[in-house]
Amino acid sequence: MRHGVLIIIWLLTDLLLFIALYALAYFLRVGFIFSTDFPFDRFFIAITFVAPFWLIALIITRAFSLMRRQRHWRTGAYIGFCAILGTALFSLSYYFLFGIFFSRLLLVEAFFFTWFGLWLWHILFEKILRTQLHAHSVYPTLIVGVTRESGKLIALLQKEKNPLTPVAILDARGSKEKDIFGVPVKGKLDMLEHVLEEDRITHLIQCSNLEQSLNLLSACRQQGITYIVLPSVFGIVERDERVDRLEGQPVTTVSPKGPWWEWLFQ
Amino acid sequence: MQYLILAGGFATRLWPLTEKRAKPLLPLGGKPVITHLIEKIPFDAPITVSTNAAYGESFQKWKHDFPNRQITIAVEQTRSDHEKLGALGAVAQWITNEHIDDDIFILTGDNYVGFSFSDFLKHYTPGIPLLAAHDIGSKEEARHFGTVVLHEDNKTVRSFEEKPAEPKTSLVSTGCSIIPKKELPILIEFAKQKPDNIGGIFEEFLRRRIHVHCFSFQEPWFDIGSFDTYLQAIIAVLGPGVEQAPDVHREELHYEGTVVIGAHSHVKRSHLRDTVIFENCIIEDCVLERCVIDNNCILKGMDLSDKMLRDGTRLIARKLRD
Repeated sequence: MRHGVLIIIWLLTDLLLFIALYALAYFLRVGFIFSTDFPFDRFFIAITFVAPFWLIALIITRAFSLMRRQRHWRTGAYIGFCAILGTALFSLSYYFLFGIFFSRLLLVEAFFFTWFGLWLWHILFEKILRTQLHAHSVYPTLIVGVTRESGKLIALLQKEKNPLTPVAILDARGSKEKDIFGVPVKGKLDMLEHVLEEDRITHLIQCSNLEQSLNLLSACRQQGITYIVLPSVFGIVERDERVDRLEGQPVTTVSPKGPWWEWLFQ
Repeated sequence: MQYLILAGGFATRLWPLTEKRAKPLLPLGGKPVITHLIEKIPFDAPITVSTNAAYGESFQKWKHDFPNRQITIAVEQTRSDHEKLGALGAVAQWITNEHIDDDIFILTGDNYVGFSFSDFLKHYTPGIPLLAAHDIGSKEEARHFGTVVLHEDNKTVRSFEEKPAEPKTSLVSTGCSIIPKKELPILIEFAKQKPDNIGGIFEEFLRRRIHVHCFSFQEPWFDIGSFDTYLQAIIAVLGPGVEQAPDVHREELHYEGTVVIGAHSHVKRSHLRDTVIFENCIIEDCVLERCVIDNNCILKGMDLSDKMLRDGTRLIARKLRD
């Protein structure tokens, strides 16, 4: 519920900011007046018409996803891509609606404003969202496996105030540790059902015990829990994997190291 | 004589098969492992099954299979592995709580033994502790058990070592013993120090220069502690072939080794090898090797080997595009 409300606020503020940034570009270009040669109301109608389509494009890039890191360059690239799309849609809409064209420099300014302005807003809003979701443990997360990888992951999730809040750890072989960074080790996998219910787990992150993947996934499917698995469970520890598609089927790929540009064509 | 079956373990190595049932209630040849033990115990003997709070209810249900037997379910109030009393601790608690003043025949509920209990009882000399031992033929394997070295009479125990690093013998103690009533105070005292070391009580008897007798047997014995031993026990008890409940639906089933199919299950166009399918499962277009599939699973288009699947697992492989 809390996350839903925050997402709605985020979408609405994005929409308003997109329109506001275009208006800013208009006033910077035309001057802080309501010009009769290039009327603001036409400009406003066109941008208001385009804004929802631009927002849909941004949603499709999963820029609002829980797992998406807003300050990552990839998110910046997606927002930039949508900014180009917004500019193109605006030009076309304005032309179709009013049959005339206007300042090209305004379009360039609007593009940069929406790219960087919205990216900055996304980074700020992510901070608010994470603080809210983390503080209220909206997504209690179960970690399976006591390993160095799981320790590092817990520390990172806590440091970054990730919405996925680790609340319990289970280990198939039984761990002597009582807790990892304050997260209690609650026993072996026989405690799974109990922990899933007691802690109202929403996400399960498997960090080891590959042989139990099917059963962990089965428990997650039955209880409507999101299942996440670390690549290290499969022995991929160098962080050079990527998720690809092979004939439409999702696959995890680890390619041999080569020049950076090979990445584009492998 | 009182019969005590220990069934208080949480069987974490057999998870997820033990998620909803205790290890002694796992099916073996059409009935729970513990039922094989009950059937060997003299009909009029009082039997106590000691279990934990997590499985208490399922043992109460199981007890209804024996309306004419004197079976009591003793529940220790533990719900997880780290809370448990330990096997010897559970025995001591039961002796104290129930004021037992009799010889006790102790059995571990997750063991399958092939010998007859009347033969075992014939070897019991009143007042002398007796344990059943089996030669597993491998000293390497014997490191996981209590090993027994006998005197020349092949009956009296010379030494007992619990899980030795370098076993002197491959004759190992099984989960079957008799403790005479006069030695119960020693058991209670020892349990305070080592509540989890049930085999250690024989070391303690020998340390106190108390004679211990051994009944060696050749018949099969399985300590069902892991997926491998459970499957081994099923294969040995049932032999090759398909063992199925009467209302199973099967079509184009190819099998090798031992295959068990539980009630109300459907198996179609599948190849199974040394696999156990519990009740209400649907298996289609699958290749399963050395798998144990719990109740209510649906598997379609899967190839699996050496897997235990939990109750209600649904794995339906999406077809690859042509």
